[in-house]
Amino acid sequence: MAAARRNKRVAASQPGFLNLNPNVDQSDSTLRRRKRINKNKKKNWNKHSDIQDVEEFLDDVRLQERATGGLVSEKSDDSLFFVDTGEPSKNIQKGETQKKGRGSRPLRIDLILQHDSLVPAPKDILSYQQPNAKKLRRISQKAEELAAKGVLPRKQRLLLRRKAAAGSKAAEHTSANKHPERPFYDLWSEPGKVTADPWYLEQTKKKLVKRPAKLNEKPSALPAVEVIAPGGSYNPEFFSHQALLLQAHEVEVKKQKEEQKVERQLAVSQEDTATEETVFQEQVEGLLEEEEGEEGPVQEDLEFTPDTSATPSTTQGKKTERQRKREKAEKEKEQQRRTEQALTSRKQQLFQLRSIRSELKKREQRTKLRQAQRLARKEAQKTQPRRLGRLRFQAPDLEVQLSDEIPGSLRTLKAKGSILKDRFKSLQKRNLIEPRERAKFKRKHKLKYVEKRAFKAIT
Amino acid sequence: MGGLQKKKYESGAATNYITRNKARKKLQLSLADFRRLCILKGIYPHEPKHKKKVNKGSTAPRTFYLLKDIRFLLHEPIVGKFREYKVFVRKLRKAYGKAEWTDVQRIRDNKPGYKLDHIVKERYPTFIDALRDIDDALSMCFLFSTFARTGKCHVQTIQLCRRLSVEWMNYIITSRALRKVFLSIKGIYYQAEVLGQPVTWLVPYQFSHDHPTDVDYRVMATFTEFYTTLLGFVNFRLYQSLNLAYPPKLDVKAEVELKGKHEEDYAMDSESYLEKLAALSSSLARMVSTVEEEEAELDHFPAEGEDAETLEGREKQQKEQDAQKKLFEGLKFFLNREVPRESLAFVLRCFGAQVSWDKYLCMGSTYDVTDQSITHQIVDRPNADQQYINRYYIQPQWVFDSVNAKLLLPVADYFPGVTLPPHLSPFVEEKDGDYVPPEKLKLMALQRGERPEREEEEEEEEDDEEEEEEDDEEDGEEEEEMDDEELNDEKNLKEMEKQKSQGKALLVKVTPGKAKPENKMRTEQEEKAEEKRLAIMMMKKKEKYLYDKIMFGKKRKVREANKLAAKRKAHEDASKADKKKKKAKKQ
Repeated sequence: MAAARRNKRVAASQPGFLNLNPNVDQSDSTLRRRKRINKNKKKNWNKHSDIQDVEEFLDDVRLQERATGGLVSEKSDDSLFFVDTGEPSKNIQKGETQKKGRGSRPLRIDLILQHDSLVPAPKDILSYQQPNAKKLRRISQKAEELAAKGVLPRKQRLLLRRKAAAGSKAAEHTSANKHPERPFYDLWSEPGKVTADPWYLEQTKKKLVKRPAKLNEKPSALPAVEVIAPGGSYNPEFFSHQALLLQAHEVEVKKQKEEQKVERQLAVSQEDTATEETVFQEQVEGLLEEEEGEEGPVQEDLEFTPDTSATPSTTQGKKTERQRKREKAEKEKEQQRRTEQALTSRKQQLFQLRSIRSELKKREQRTKLRQAQRLARKEAQKTQPRRLGRLRFQAPDLEVQLSDEIPGSLRTLKAKGSILKDRFKSLQKRNLIEPRERAKFKRKHKLKYVEKRAFKAIT
Repeated sequence: MGGLQKKKYESGAATNYITRNKARKKLQLSLADFRRLCILKGIYPHEPKHKKKVNKGSTAPRTFYLLKDIRFLLHEPIVGKFREYKVFVRKLRKAYGKAEWTDVQRIRDNKPGYKLDHIVKERYPTFIDALRDIDDALSMCFLFSTFARTGKCHVQTIQLCRRLSVEWMNYIITSRALRKVFLSIKGIYYQAEVLGQPVTWLVPYQFSHDHPTDVDYRVMATFTEFYTTLLGFVNFRLYQSLNLAYPPKLDVKAEVELKGKHEEDYAMDSESYLEKLAALSSSLARMVSTVEEEEAELDHFPAEGEDAETLEGREKQQKEQDAQKKLFEGLKFFLNREVPRESLAFVLRCFGAQVSWDKYLCMGSTYDVTDQSITHQIVDRPNADQQYINRYYIQPQWVFDSVNAKLLLPVADYFPGVTLPPHLSPFVEEKDGDYVPPEKLKLMALQRGERPEREEEEEEEEDDEEEEEEDDEEDGEEEEEMDDEELNDEKNLKEMEKQKSQGKALLVKVTPGKAKPENKMRTEQEEKAEEKRLAIMMMKKKEKYLYDKIMFGKKRKVREANKLAAKRKAHEDASKADKKKKKAKKQ
């Protein structure tokens, strides 16, 4: 704007400039006395500098532009003037207007609203100008180049990745571990070479920790599926069936014995039951005076005891020189006697060589036997259930058919025992899980019984 | 004495173990989750050697884990999933409580799940490891697949177990890997040889469930969760090894055949395919359709000495196995509706038979009762209404016994209404000298190719006795033989001398020599016996003592076995006499 204004000002100062507004007084401002003002502040510039002449001039310029579409001074003569040659074509025009009549005349309001300035309305820059056009152009060019090369932009890449991730997640979701349609693949096929840094993988927890080798040892040497003894066949051979029955019988007898033992221990003995006599004595207890003759000797005992304990204390005085010497001599003598004895016995051993040898042999044999026993016990322990918790492993009842239960054919067979229980016990027996009791249901709050109103009304 | 006093329980056993509760707290898991994690990861409690030391002086019984194991558990990614699940449950409960149903739906959709693939790989680094440990998984899967869908465990688990067990059975059928079957009172034991590994599993009879209350279902479900994953991967690999399509698909031919008219009556479309697979009556589709698998022949290498013997033995075994694999080939069976269909179809198909059943009994029947080419019909009822002449009617035990005996047994013992011979356990392997039931002896004789008419029992007994005195006898026999020959020679000589003394011209003439028939077997045996005797002589005193002891033990066993056999004979005689009496009375 400022530049345009300056231009116009320059134009106005030209000698050929015509003023459209004739009554503008130019000399008026020069006559007044100038005020003294500080000119080092913008505020003062605005306030006190006289710009009326410029304003007026500019108004004039604008008027010219509005009315004639440019500065009059710059217009060519042809456009400003015309040669008046009368009205040659007026008749024709009139005829035309008469033909059109009233309906063709525009409404006054339309005329008022018509744009009457010759200065064209400023163009709406934003409507056709693009901000950052250059930059955008460059970007689009680059994108085209990349597309030609086949490189996807980052945004799209991210989107794709997200999509892929979402897809995999959905797949995982549908194929939960126990989903019947879940797919399987070759788990043991050769994995692709991992090229990533092992340290990185380890730190980001992408590599699994190696399983300790000891964990692959089985906790028991028992086979996973123990086949039932031949007597457990649905149509068993006579003797194997008898053997199995005997086994079951022994188990049952053992159980019974234990039960009986407990019963015996808990039984009330004859002596503890109250007889008439004892009942009477209890009733009379404390009513009769008792003789107190028995208390005498007890007291005497009490008196005796301190005496016996006091006697050694009296002898524990200081030893005399003589006593010491004698004791020392005795000690030496004893020692000598012992060494002599050992010597003689060693000499004697020469004649006992045979018996010693036999004894040695016996001892060796014994150790060997014990070693073997220990080894056997260790071997047996491998198949034994260990004690893994509060409870011990309880062997399940043997499944057995009684002799009269043996079916004639497969159709009439009644299956014994439960395989579920068998599997469960097998897991316990192989030390895979600890035996435990079923957790008891504990009520958090006590049940409260409330009589309902309706019922109350009835009763 | 310098140095600091050692504090108790700060080193050694006390620091190697950790109690369950402490471990649980260290992992920040609830007891149920901890238990689950331990089962999945294969970490089991330990019984320390010195409990009191480990328990810091207390003798209270506790469950201990190895500290290193628990430390290993700390790295498990599944632990995080467990915690996530806990949060999920909490959120869901909250949304429920506030009755915010859209939230409930959203939370449900985002339910956290986990997979056990990496754990399977970690626990079984190679495929063979997994195969060795598959017994448990199989038994559990077969068990769970028979459960009713009553809410004791997830329906999905049951379905998955069923699918996996059907896949396994189909594999066994296609690879003809079944070796032994044993019908016990508990369930049916199967043994197969898969890639050289013996695999044993137990299958319950159908409809025989009462749910025991003293079994922890949660623990069992956790085990099953792991085992299903394991079995799935194993199945996949096995199918691949046979070039079969996985998931299993029926043969194109079979598929057309099985296309029944009223399929919808049996099962929904989604289930009918599995049902058809489960019927086991048709073969599976292969990835690359091959014309009949070529029999892999063993390569022959020249071998010497013992190697040759073992090789021979192996070859013989291989031949036997091949023969067993084709036991029922070419036979056509029909199952009546009262026999256990699945187990019979499985066993029969495993040995190459064709099987069918009434089409109203189950899906997948391939031919009718009226088919004239049926060779055997399996019946378990005394009275059959309609009988065809050109087929055998037998009881189901015949199939199982034949499989165990590795040959087709005479059918006469198994006709309907006949008292069956006992069903012997194929899992018992008698050492020499053990008591062998006479039925088994008969079987063994049959296997050797002898006729059943002869009295095997007595022979066998004699054999046993002979074995007893083998050592002594052999020596004696040799001497006797020698004597015989010498005697003959001497006789000849004497005759010649006689003639000489009589002064006659000797009838000397050259006769063509007779080649002495040298009994190779005999000489070999003699040599062996001689060697044995010499070896015994050369034994050290100690070894000799041991040897004597062993021999004594063997003899004792034989004696006991003989005693049992005699007892049995007496028992049978008595029972026979009883029967005869009864018969006589009836008449």
